[in-house]
Amino acid sequence: MSDERTRFANVVLPHLGDAYALARWLARNDSDAEDIVQEACLRAFRGIAGFGNINARGWVLSIVRNTAYTWLKRHRDAKVVAVDNVEEVEQAGVDAGGEWASAPASPEAALIERADTARLEGAIAELPLEFRETLVLREVEGLDYRAIAEITGVPIGTVMSRLARARRRLMVQLGRDAT
Amino acid sequence: MTQASNNASDRASGDPFLLVHAYCDGELDPANALALERRMAEDPRLAVERDRILALRRAMGRIKGHSVAPPALRAKVERAVGMRRPAVRPTWSAMAASVVLAAAISVGATWSVLAPSGALVADEVVSNHIRGLMAAQPYDVASSDEHTVKPWFNGRIPVSPRVVNLAGDGFPLIGGRIDVIAKMPVPSLVYGFRKHLISVTEMQGGRASPPVRSAGGYHVIAWNAGGVSYWAVSDVELDELQKFVTLFQAAPDTEK
Repeated sequence: MSDERTRFANVVLPHLGDAYALARWLARNDSDAEDIVQEACLRAFRGIAGFGNINARGWVLSIVRNTAYTWLKRHRDAKVVAVDNVEEVEQAGVDAGGEWASAPASPEAALIERADTARLEGAIAELPLEFRETLVLREVEGLDYRAIAEITGVPIGTVMSRLARARRRLMVQLGRDAT
Repeated sequence: MTQASNNASDRASGDPFLLVHAYCDGELDPANALALERRMAEDPRLAVERDRILALRRAMGRIKGHSVAPPALRAKVERAVGMRRPAVRPTWSAMAASVVLAAAISVGATWSVLAPSGALVADEVVSNHIRGLMAAQPYDVASSDEHTVKPWFNGRIPVSPRVVNLAGDGFPLIGGRIDVIAKMPVPSLVYGFRKHLISVTEMQGGRASPPVRSAGGYHVIAWNAGGVSYWAVSDVELDELQKFVTLFQAAPDTEK
């Protein structure tokens, strides 16, 4: 095998499963996820010479993430990317009185933990794209705030608020579904 | 890392709930974590938030099984970048038939006359792995030092196996043992991965086929290199086993 291919096999292929998981959650569709991963792998292959041997997994995931965004814009119009608006709305809600202060009584942790898997997956799929990606990078890929901030190109504070809001939405959703 | 932790606590200082999230994510330094634990003890709203976050995480843990790339995707990717791979895989029924056939033929046949079929080897590799799991210990020599494990095989079997150090990648060497496949003693290495074990059996000659085989909760990945066939078996996710194999193949040989 050529040097590039050996390098690709060592750097990219070990993270194919993680790449697929991320693409799957971003695209919310298995076959689109495969297309995204394939395209991302080609990008990675072409760029393998420029990879600096630091944090292969983060490098692969950020390529998958960027490929997914391009792909989604191309195939699904602008509506998936209208998250800036969502964030402003959310922020307005927080400033106006605080979702934090108003929702402490329910749902109970036990209710959340017992949540039906299909429902939970559905609730995650319904999250706005940027909340969803932050949650998935944290809970599925197990990345820390700094790594998530680097991959998504936002400050750590934004990662924190997105993560908290994503979780809050799921908690409320799961509590509502169960009753 | 500490910088990230400091950032996390700085960023959240205005919002105790954000701090609880950072706490659950292990992003607080010890002093801030301790301070928050005190606050949570006093403020039930914060404690409830922590419980919910952890409950959500446990619920999400149940849907994590998707981080395995479909084999067809791996194949597509490998083809797309021009890596070689076999185009056709044997079907299950064909593999089953070859097990029966090989079992029938190998009665009375010696190793030198007829090497066992890949499917037969795969079955025996799995059996040896399971036997290892059920034994008092899954190895004959226990050592995380490749310089101890490799020489141990010398004098017991004709050829000592290739031993590599993958501890830095999360697959520490645990030990080695001698297995028997088709009446021949062969070296197996045992690596750890989280709470699981991975056995790698090395055989002189032999055909590493089928490249991937899964049955009864065990996966076997086989490959050839330098006239030797390797067989990795484990109950870890196929993708994790593939990762191990890729690292094993790429790792430099240990000097004697």
